[in-house]
Amino acid sequence: MYKLFLLLVLMFGALHAQTKMTSAEANDLRAMVKEQAKTTQTITSDFTQFKHLDFLSNDIESKGKMAFKTPDMVKWQYTQPFAYSIIFKNQELYINDDGDKSHIDVGGNKTFEQLNQLITSSIRGDMFDDTQFDISYFTKDGKSLVHFLPKDAQFKEFIKAFHLTFNNEGEVQEVKMIEPSGDYTQIILSTRQTNQPLSDADFAH
Amino acid sequence: MRILLTSIGIFLFIGCASYPKKNGFTTQTSLKSETINPYFSDILKDYVYKAKIDAFGNSFGGLFIVKKLSENHHRIVFTTEMGNTILDFEFKGQNLKIHRILPEMDKKLLINVLKRDFLALISEKPEIVKVFSKGEKMLIGAEVLSKKHRYWIADGKLTKIARTSGGKEKVTFLFSRINDNIVEEIQISHQSFDLKIELKAL
Repeated sequence: MYKLFLLLVLMFGALHAQTKMTSAEANDLRAMVKEQAKTTQTITSDFTQFKHLDFLSNDIESKGKMAFKTPDMVKWQYTQPFAYSIIFKNQELYINDDGDKSHIDVGGNKTFEQLNQLITSSIRGDMFDDTQFDISYFTKDGKSLVHFLPKDAQFKEFIKAFHLTFNNEGEVQEVKMIEPSGDYTQIILSTRQTNQPLSDADFAH
Repeated sequence: MRILLTSIGIFLFIGCASYPKKNGFTTQTSLKSETINPYFSDILKDYVYKAKIDAFGNSFGGLFIVKKLSENHHRIVFTTEMGNTILDFEFKGQNLKIHRILPEMDKKLLINVLKRDFLALISEKPEIVKVFSKGEKMLIGAEVLSKKHRYWIADGKLTKIARTSGGKEKVTFLFSRINDNIVEEIQISHQSFDLKIELKAL
């Protein structure tokens, strides 16, 4: 009985273990993701977002649809439990807050500019920039998990780490933005479709 | 002449009377320390609101989160819709600990305004000074951070708080769509400057 229990614990442990990739595996993943990003013109996906704050009893859950079009247009449309959309394009943020429209030029704000750029590149997965991040590579539950730790001191105060989870095709399935406090936002993409026709009108304010 | 003088006297008397007297409230003597504001009093509940803020010509939104951790101990966090923390305040009694605030908002004046507003919002048992009643309505004079506040209670529900100075309302907190100690809509408006916060429960 004890051995069976130990075996179960070990199996469970193995399933959830996060092991470091070899540098060859990491290079393969980088190459695959870059190739995937190069051939991706558009992405559409449903998403579920969990905002985790340690002191809350439950994570705050919201849902919506995401659309991306090269080179740098992203739309996040929250549908539940509130109606809110945010479009990143041409260095500006366009917001529709339940009918109230506004836009912000983020060109002047370094932090938001960086965040904007990172959200865009994290959707494609292609943010393997060693000058901007300390990057480490893991395998977890049969998927690839990459930790990006920003090097910029000012940005580090805003976000401590990005964790991206990739499927076997090198597509991003999950983005986790971890704040300096340890609280985080986790975005899980589902029913992801690539290279479906999207026009500029899909990103209209 | 006497009638005229009496009229003037009555006029002056009414004119100088306080808000409660003018509106037919009578003074109550029993001043028990009770929960006046129950809206953020349940430790088991996560209070999450969609927020819209209009401040100094700018308009922005986010999530406004309140959690009661223990008696007189609350955490208040404001994040963007995408989850980035704008501010993270912890109140123990009247003491504020700032866990995080966006550098652009890290101004003493603004922090003081937010501290006063948030404390008025979460204080369950403010220091009661006077209680007036009129039928099912109650008007309570109380102090939060040594500032005068009025609390309007109708049919046992808190519907409004106003911070007053010289008898005038400086900040108002309106509570609507109230069910079982849960308030679905809150509107905080400053009269002296351009700041309005609208909260809708999620």
